[in-house]
Amino acid sequence: MKNFGGVWRSSILFRVVAATVLLSVLLITIVGSVLYVQISKGILREKVNESISESRSLSDYAQGQLDATLYLPSLKIDQVVRKILNASDLTLATTPREVALIGSPLSHRVNHAFNGASGGVDIRSIPQSLRELVVNKGETQWVRSSILYRDGSRVPAIIIGRSIVIPPSSPYELYYIFLLKEQGTIIDFIGRLLLLSALLLVLLIGAISWYVIRQALYPIRDAAEIAEQLTAGDLGRRMRVVGQDEMTRLAISFNEMAVSMQQQISRLENLSRLQQRFVSDVSHELRTPLTTIRMASEVIGDSKEKMDPATARSVELLQSQITRFEALLTDLLEVSRFDARASILEVKETDITTLVRYCIDQARVSESEQFHFNVPQNPVMATVDPRRIERIMRNLIANAIDHGEGKKIEITIKEGQSEVAVSVRDYGVGFTSRESLHLFDRFWRADPSRSRLRGGTGLGLSISLDDANLHQGLLKAWGAPGRGANFVLTVPKAPGIPIGSEPIRVDPPNEPSTIPMISDEDEG
Amino acid sequence: MTLIMVVDDDQDLAEMLGIVLNSAGFEVDLVNSGDQVISLFTAHEPELVLLDVMLPGMSGLEVCKEIRKVSMVPIVMLSAKNESHEVVLGLEAGADDYMVKPFNPSELVARIKVRLRRSGSDTPTSLKIGEIVIDQVAHTIIRHGKTIQLTRLEFDLLVALAKEPGRVFSRDALLSEVWGYQQAADTRLVNVHVQRLRAKIEEDVENPTVIVTVRGVGYKAGTGSE
Repeated sequence: MKNFGGVWRSSILFRVVAATVLLSVLLITIVGSVLYVQISKGILREKVNESISESRSLSDYAQGQLDATLYLPSLKIDQVVRKILNASDLTLATTPREVALIGSPLSHRVNHAFNGASGGVDIRSIPQSLRELVVNKGETQWVRSSILYRDGSRVPAIIIGRSIVIPPSSPYELYYIFLLKEQGTIIDFIGRLLLLSALLLVLLIGAISWYVIRQALYPIRDAAEIAEQLTAGDLGRRMRVVGQDEMTRLAISFNEMAVSMQQQISRLENLSRLQQRFVSDVSHELRTPLTTIRMASEVIGDSKEKMDPATARSVELLQSQITRFEALLTDLLEVSRFDARASILEVKETDITTLVRYCIDQARVSESEQFHFNVPQNPVMATVDPRRIERIMRNLIANAIDHGEGKKIEITIKEGQSEVAVSVRDYGVGFTSRESLHLFDRFWRADPSRSRLRGGTGLGLSISLDDANLHQGLLKAWGAPGRGANFVLTVPKAPGIPIGSEPIRVDPPNEPSTIPMISDEDEG
Repeated sequence: MTLIMVVDDDQDLAEMLGIVLNSAGFEVDLVNSGDQVISLFTAHEPELVLLDVMLPGMSGLEVCKEIRKVSMVPIVMLSAKNESHEVVLGLEAGADDYMVKPFNPSELVARIKVRLRRSGSDTPTSLKIGEIVIDQVAHTIIRHGKTIQLTRLEFDLLVALAKEPGRVFSRDALLSEVWGYQQAADTRLVNVHVQRLRAKIEEDVENPTVIVTVRGVGYKAGTGSE
C-alpha cells in the first residue's frame, strides 16, 4: 500500500487513469444496477400476473369442488382436499408449483385437520404477513418470498393465497406457490452478463485513458528526461520540436532556457578560467624578479661577517621572508592548479611508514618535540602520489609542532582492508567547533594574533585537503580547546579503490565527541 | 676560464646571474635576445648555455634547436613553470637539464658544475654496449665504423648504462648518477633523454636493443640484438 501511495504521488498518468477507472466503475455500477433491477422486475411482473390468474382459476375450481360436496354425497371432503393438494402433480403446469392449505388461525372452529402441502413444503415458511393479509382481506393476495422444504432447501417463489371455506364452515387459507427457478436462472444470467460487460467497459476505459494521457504526457516526460541530462552536465541536449501545439511551445521555451543556461555557464566558466589563468600568470610573473632578489640576497648574505649586527640581522630576515614568499608562490600555483582541475596523481608504490618518518626527520627543529609512534612493524605499502602524501604529512606535522605547545605528538599508522590511515595527534591549544568550520579555508588563521612560528602560508590545510581528495581519500579533523587536535588522513591503497572503512577514528576514544568532526568532501 | 652564455630577456636577472656565476669562477656572456644567440655562440664558443625558455623574438625552444644544429654543448634551461608542457618541449629540443625559478644560486652553480664535469677515464677506456663502441678518452662513440655525435649528457647516460651491463637502473638512480640530483627529481628528464639517445644510436627506435626499457623499473644496457 505504501508502494501504491508512492506511485500515486509520483505519476500523473497513474493518478488520472486511476481516477478515470474509479469514476467509470461508479457510473457503470449505478447504470448496471438500475438496468438489472428493471429487467428482473419486468420478468417477474409477467410471471406474477400469469401466476395470479392461474391461481385464481385453480382456487375457484377448488372452492367449487369443496362446495359440491354439500350436494353430492358421493364426494368426500378429504378426497377433494387431497386432490387440491395434488394439483401440482395433476395439472399440466407450465411452471413448477406447490400448494399449501392451512387452517385459518383466527377461527376457533377450525380443527386443522386438513392442514397440508404438496411436495414436502414446510407450511410454516408461508410468510406471516401474507397470512394476515389473506385472513383480513379475504381476496387473492401475493408476495415474493422464498419457500422452505422440509429437507432444508429453500427456493425463491411467488406465493399467492386466498381464503377458502371447507364445508360445512371451516375457514382455511389456500396458497399456490409458483417456484421461480427458471426466472432466477434468467435473471442470474442477465446479471452475469451485465457484470462482465461492466468489467470489460472499465478495462477499456482504463486502457483508453492510459493511452491518451500517455500521449499527452510524452513531451513532458521527454522534457523531464532532458532536464535530468542537462543537470548531469550534458548541456548540449535539446527537446525535439514537432508540430505547432501547446507541447511544441513547451519544447521551444524549454530549449530557449537550455540555451541561455548554457551561455551563462560557459560565460562563468570562461570567467573562472580567466581568473585561474590570472592567478597562475601572476605567480609565474613574480618568479623572475623573485629569483633575482633571492640571488642578490644570497650574494649579500655571503659577506655577512663584514656587516654590523643590525644589517646582518636584516639580511637574515630578508632571506627568510624570501623563502616564505617562495613557499607562498608555490602554494598559490598549486591552488590554482587544483582550481583549474589540472592536478594529476603520479602514483608510485610507497611505504607510508618510511615516508612519515622521513617527514618527521625533516620537520624536527629541536629535540624538544616529542614524537610517539604507534606504527606497525611491517612496511605499510600503498600506491599513492608520494609527493602529495609527503606534503600532507609535512603540513600536519608542522601544524602539530606549531600548536602543540611542546607537548607530546602521537603519530599512528593503521592499515585497513583497502585503505591506510595516518593520524597526527597533539595535546596543544586545539580549536573550537566554530574554528573547525574554517580549518580548511584558504588563508584562514585560527587566531590572527597568534605568532607564526613557522611562517606557514595559510594554504597548507587547504592544499592537503585537495591532495587527499585527489586520492579519493579523506582528511578529517577533531579538536577541543586546550585538549589538542587530531588530524586523520585516510587514503585507498591503490587509486580507484573506494575507502571501505576508517581504520582510525578522528574523535579520540577517551575524549568527549562533543566537537563536531569536519571533513569537506564537497570542496575541491 | 670557463665561458658560460646566459640568455635571458630580463636584464636584471641576467646581470644577477652574471654576478653569481662570476663569483663562482666562471666567465659570463650575457645575451638579452634570442636572435643574437647563434652569431655570438659561434663567435665565442661558450662551454655551457643557460637559457630562459620564455624569450621575446626567437623563443627559447628555437634557440635550443639552433644551438643543437651546430654544437653538443650542455644547455640548462631556466623556466618559470615546472608543470607545463614547455619543460618537456625544451628537453626534446635538446636541453640537458632545467631549473625552475626561483632557484637557489648555489644549486644552480652545482648543477652547472655537474654538466661541465668531464667523465673520468680511470675505468676501461673502451666500453661496448650492443654494437656500439664507446671511447671514453676520445669521448666518441662508434657504430659500424661511423662516429655518432652525442651531447655530453647523452654520452654520460650511455656510459653509465654500459659500465654495469647487468644492472637495471631506476630513473631515480640515473638522475643521481648522470644529472647529479641528490633528491627525487623530475623523471621526465630521463625519459626524454633516453628517447633522444635512442633516436641517435638505435637501428630501430620502435624496438630498441641498446637501451632496453624494463617495465615498471627503469632501463638497462641491451645486448644489441633481438
